[in-house]
Amino acid sequence: MTGENEKNYIVVERLHKYFSQRGSADMHILDDINFTVKKGEVICIVGSSGCGKSTLLRAICGLDPDHEGTVRIDGTEITGPDKHRGMVFQEHRLFPWLTVSQNVGYALNGISKEEKQEKVKQYIELVGLNGFERSYPRELSGGMAQRAGIARALVNNPSVLFLDEPFGALDAFTKISMQKELKRIQKRSHTTMLLVTHDIDEAVYLADQIIVMSERPGRIQNIVPVKLAEPRDRNSYEFVEIRKIIYNEFFN
Amino acid sequence: MNKATAKNAGYAAEYIILVAAIIGVWIVMGSTGNLNPVIMPAPSKVGNTILSLIQSGELWESLGISVARVLQGYLLASVLGIILGILIGLSNHLERLTGLLIQLIKPIPPIAWIPLVILWFGIGEGGKIFLIFLGGFFTILINVIDGIRQADTKLIEVSTSMETPFFKHIFMMVIPSAAPNIFTGLRTGLSSCWMCVVAAELVSSTTGLGYLIMNARQFGKTDVVIVGMLTIGITGKIMDSLLKLAEKLVIRWN
Ligand SMILES: Nc1ncnc2c1ncn2[C@@H]1O[C@H](COP(=O)(O)OP(=O)(O)OP(=O)(O)O)[C@@H](O)[C@H]1O
Ligand SMILES: [Mg+2]
Repeated sequence: MTGENEKNYIVVERLHKYFSQRGSADMHILDDINFTVKKGEVICIVGSSGCGKSTLLRAICGLDPDHEGTVRIDGTEITGPDKHRGMVFQEHRLFPWLTVSQNVGYALNGISKEEKQEKVKQYIELVGLNGFERSYPRELSGGMAQRAGIARALVNNPSVLFLDEPFGALDAFTKISMQKELKRIQKRSHTTMLLVTHDIDEAVYLADQIIVMSERPGRIQNIVPVKLAEPRDRNSYEFVEIRKIIYNEFFN
Repeated sequence: MNKATAKNAGYAAEYIILVAAIIGVWIVMGSTGNLNPVIMPAPSKVGNTILSLIQSGELWESLGISVARVLQGYLLASVLGIILGILIGLSNHLERLTGLLIQLIKPIPPIAWIPLVILWFGIGEGGKIFLIFLGGFFTILINVIDGIRQADTKLIEVSTSMETPFFKHIFMMVIPSAAPNIFTGLRTGLSSCWMCVVAAELVSSTTGLGYLIMNARQFGKTDVVIVGMLTIGITGKIMDSLLKLAEKLVIRWN
């Protein structure tokens, strides 16, 4: 049974999502989404703006349980959020009134002060924010705030990490170094990750599988496995080949 | 001197010129004999009155009594306003239940309550403090409710998705997020408390600044009336500045 749960760690079955609209019929946003994720895998979901990526992520992590179909993680049906599943949002969503350390430590409850301090320190170091522990979010750059958000999502040692366009607002340089950092974190923690992006390069660099979504209603158009050796070279022939495949999914 | 301090010095100079101009006009009118001392005493007369009221201790005594009343009513209004505001702000049910009632009572000026308050409490201290409480309470309550209602749903979602314990959620998420509105409520509440203390003392008291003013009016001592008014203005301003300072210290993150 354990083996089965590792192979089918996340199972999304016949997921449909409708949003009610004032005046007219309900909008069909997600149409029959089915896929499975192995434990420790990184899945990237790509699709154009408005195709329902955020909606799908919110359904899977339990933030929006109002949908048809089922989502199971490790054999348990998901009906609401859980602190053992981390979420990094499209906007950093740090609490403006808390310092970086307080934000990172916010999710930690029911452990001793020393233990908490130790963990916060560890994750602040992991995302390279040492020296900014006492800064408020407004004193951080966009990339630093996003890293603080990642540290906060990781601090509870989540079994699954959901990331919704975490680097969408960053410049190209910061973005690439953040992708490297996320990869490093993933290699160390083996956390299962679902990451939404509209950056094809980012998806090919990070993913074990890329889920390509089509628009209106959002459907899975294709699932592309990415079997590239690590560390991945963005300019290697194989990398470019996969990028082409994904590119052609959209522009053909 | 850097740019900012130069600018501040400029503002300060403008300030002083404005005040000096007002007093100047007042002095000139007084010295040309255009002012009836009962209607508007000359500045020198008012200055002398300030000194003599300070020396006799009369001013301090009245001020102390009024301030003590304000603080009692205001403290009560703040504590109840904040606690009830949080409860109502958090609960849709409570908000629906109390909304209409609050909206109906709020527009009634506290002064209109005076006859009822005298009937209920007599003319003792309790009535005055109740009136001051009324003056501050609804302002504070409404601002706190608004602050809680306006909390960013995206941040609330973060807190709840982490399964944050209830009291932690209240103290680390809900209250800080409403803090700017809470302070707005506390500051406007304080000024309405000041209005109420004077109103209460004008009507039914033998002590306090309001009484000082009312009593002076009856004897045609307009200079004392003006001193009383100035004292209220200055004290109100000082208390507001203290609150502003507290706000700055508490809301460090902006
Ligand atoms: N709360 C909501 N109520 C009604 N409609 C919604 C709601 N949230 C999203 N939608 C609709 O669902 C569709 C998908 O939205 P979603 O946010 O999932 O897109 P997305 O793929 O994440 O886009 P982007 O890349 O721009 O973030 C959009 O058409 C949007 O209008
Ligand atoms: Mg989105």
